[in-house]
Amino acid sequence: MKYSKVLAIAAALFSSPLHAEEVKIGELHPITGPLSFFGLPMSRAMQLAVEQINTTGGIDVSGTKYTIGLLTGDTQANPTIGVAALKKLTAEGATYLVGPLHGAVAPALKPIVERDESLTLIVDGATPDGLPTGKNIFRNQTTVQGFTKPIITHAGDKKIKTIAFITDRYHTAQISSEEADIASFSAVGTEVVAREYMKLGDTDFSAQLTKIVAAKPESILFRTYPNEAALMTKQARQLGYEGTIIWVVLAPPATVLKNISSAEMEGVLNGYPPAAEDLAKLGEVNAKAFVEAYKAKFGDAPGELSALSYDAVYIIKAAIEKAGSIDNKVVNQVLAGIQLSEIPELVNVYKAQPDGRLFNNAGQADFQGVVHVWKDGHWVPLSAASN
Amino acid sequence: MLELLPQQLVNGLALGALYALVAMGLTLVFGVLLIPNFAHGELYMLGGFISYSLVAVGISFWPAVLVTMLVVALIGIALDWTAYKPIEQAPGLSLMISALAASVILQQIATIIWGTEPRTTPSPVTGVIRAGFITVSHYQIMLFAVLIAAWLAVWYILNRTKLGLSIRAVSQNRDAAALMGIRLDRVRIATVVLGASLGGLAGALLTANFPVYPSVGTLPILKAFVVLVIGGIGNLWGAVIGGLLLGLSEVLVAGYISSQLQDIGAFTILVLILFFRPNGLFGRAEIER
Repeated sequence: MKYSKVLAIAAALFSSPLHAEEVKIGELHPITGPLSFFGLPMSRAMQLAVEQINTTGGIDVSGTKYTIGLLTGDTQANPTIGVAALKKLTAEGATYLVGPLHGAVAPALKPIVERDESLTLIVDGATPDGLPTGKNIFRNQTTVQGFTKPIITHAGDKKIKTIAFITDRYHTAQISSEEADIASFSAVGTEVVAREYMKLGDTDFSAQLTKIVAAKPESILFRTYPNEAALMTKQARQLGYEGTIIWVVLAPPATVLKNISSAEMEGVLNGYPPAAEDLAKLGEVNAKAFVEAYKAKFGDAPGELSALSYDAVYIIKAAIEKAGSIDNKVVNQVLAGIQLSEIPELVNVYKAQPDGRLFNNAGQADFQGVVHVWKDGHWVPLSAASN
Repeated sequence: MLELLPQQLVNGLALGALYALVAMGLTLVFGVLLIPNFAHGELYMLGGFISYSLVAVGISFWPAVLVTMLVVALIGIALDWTAYKPIEQAPGLSLMISALAASVILQQIATIIWGTEPRTTPSPVTGVIRAGFITVSHYQIMLFAVLIAAWLAVWYILNRTKLGLSIRAVSQNRDAAALMGIRLDRVRIATVVLGASLGGLAGALLTANFPVYPSVGTLPILKAFVVLVIGGIGNLWGAVIGGLLLGLSEVLVAGYISSQLQDIGAFTILVLILFFRPNGLFGRAEIER
């Protein structure tokens, strides 16, 4: 009797979904540390995507159903910790990876992933532009210049003659694009009259801002993170700067308002790719469904970047299903050629390559930023605010 | 560029005032008890979080600052009893490791209680004063005022009270002070209370303008140790002057050389001072017996 019970339990266990085939996806986001306000929503968005996929039958690999097992690696926005998190994830069997967010973490991970064809990385962060390879590293976040490009166009349209930069000197992506941005501004008739630097975690920018205010630029461009950009905006106004303040910063309003009042932010411009909530307001069906599902599950707004992480999971799913295999080498080849139309679940509005692919030959998706303006406690697309 | 000098000096002094406030508590504990209290940065952080929490439940800013100082002083005593006093006779390295461990533990406790999201208290003073070439925010004026008040209060305690006499005696010669009948345990508690409450005060003022998060004390404590070396360990006046000098040097390097060299400039000055005055600007050479 006892043996038959044990056998019955064992049979039940082995036939249960717990022992179904599983694809392990590892996420590399700053769950703790100074950028956790981005990392946590990104992690949650991946949980949401995984739950949706698993409850609707999982990934179909040539007729065999695979569930997704999500493993979390906390990079803390630190390259050393990021590498340790990557090694932990791969040791636990995650061969499909999503992340990182931080520009300093990405270059530390790249050589490890690049030389191992049995890994696949979808980058969902604002990392240096040389990161994707088109072989086993792909990026669905925009390029660094994708943030600045709409601001440059705006500067040209508004005939802004002079601008000053303050750049995070450890923000690899921003530093690497600085010269190109100066050339692009120059091409539309905007001269960069001052270049100053700061770093993540700084709280006093008075020395840099005093110099910039004395140079009297029509605009100041902050190329950093939201806490620091908000403090710089406040300190620039305190020092009497009355020109246009422009950010190229992904900045959740809740984070901004911890450092500066909404009234002081009024009229600040910001170039960044539209967030899921922006797209939902514009009537995008997938974005609306994502925002509602996220709020229902977590009781909070999804933030600026989480749709990228959500999309990354669906990109991996679509590629595995098209490949008919979970072998990363095969899936990587499929990813290089996957058509945008083959992933109908995507939340963000990407532009297809001329041949219909999601990624170009370098592994970069075309996802462009737009100019937003701070209005009544929120970022609003400038086009919508002007109407 | 010289027309910017008055403004840059104001900027530097304001930054230095914050460094000096953090360094005053640290130098007191280091000078009297010989504890390299790396966890002082976490007392500063806890001051920020406690003040934030008190203001969030409706207590107005200045009473919240006073309560914060009291609570952080109690935390300081608990820290001393658990991390430092039990290994009082151990080598200095053990104290240093214990201080680093306490720093990590306090950061983790703060993360559990308040999470990792930065938080800011609405500033009790807003607005700026503009006069000629200079713009000073009310917050900066408040920082100067609090620094002067804190320095005067600690100076009064140390130089005009019996307790202060005992603290100075222990700082100069611990064994002789004990032989004179000074209660070392009382001096220890008083020093810890003074040092921790100064850390709490600095943290409470921090949240009135800057966000506080669990690791916010890491950089200021490094800067405070630099201030100690510049000003001379255990010297209150040295902590104030050292803090102001460090703030000025950072701002002037960023303003007149390059903002990319801001941190390098500060540490270069540290090396130069150590080179010419190994005991700091106000420190005195001691003979090991």
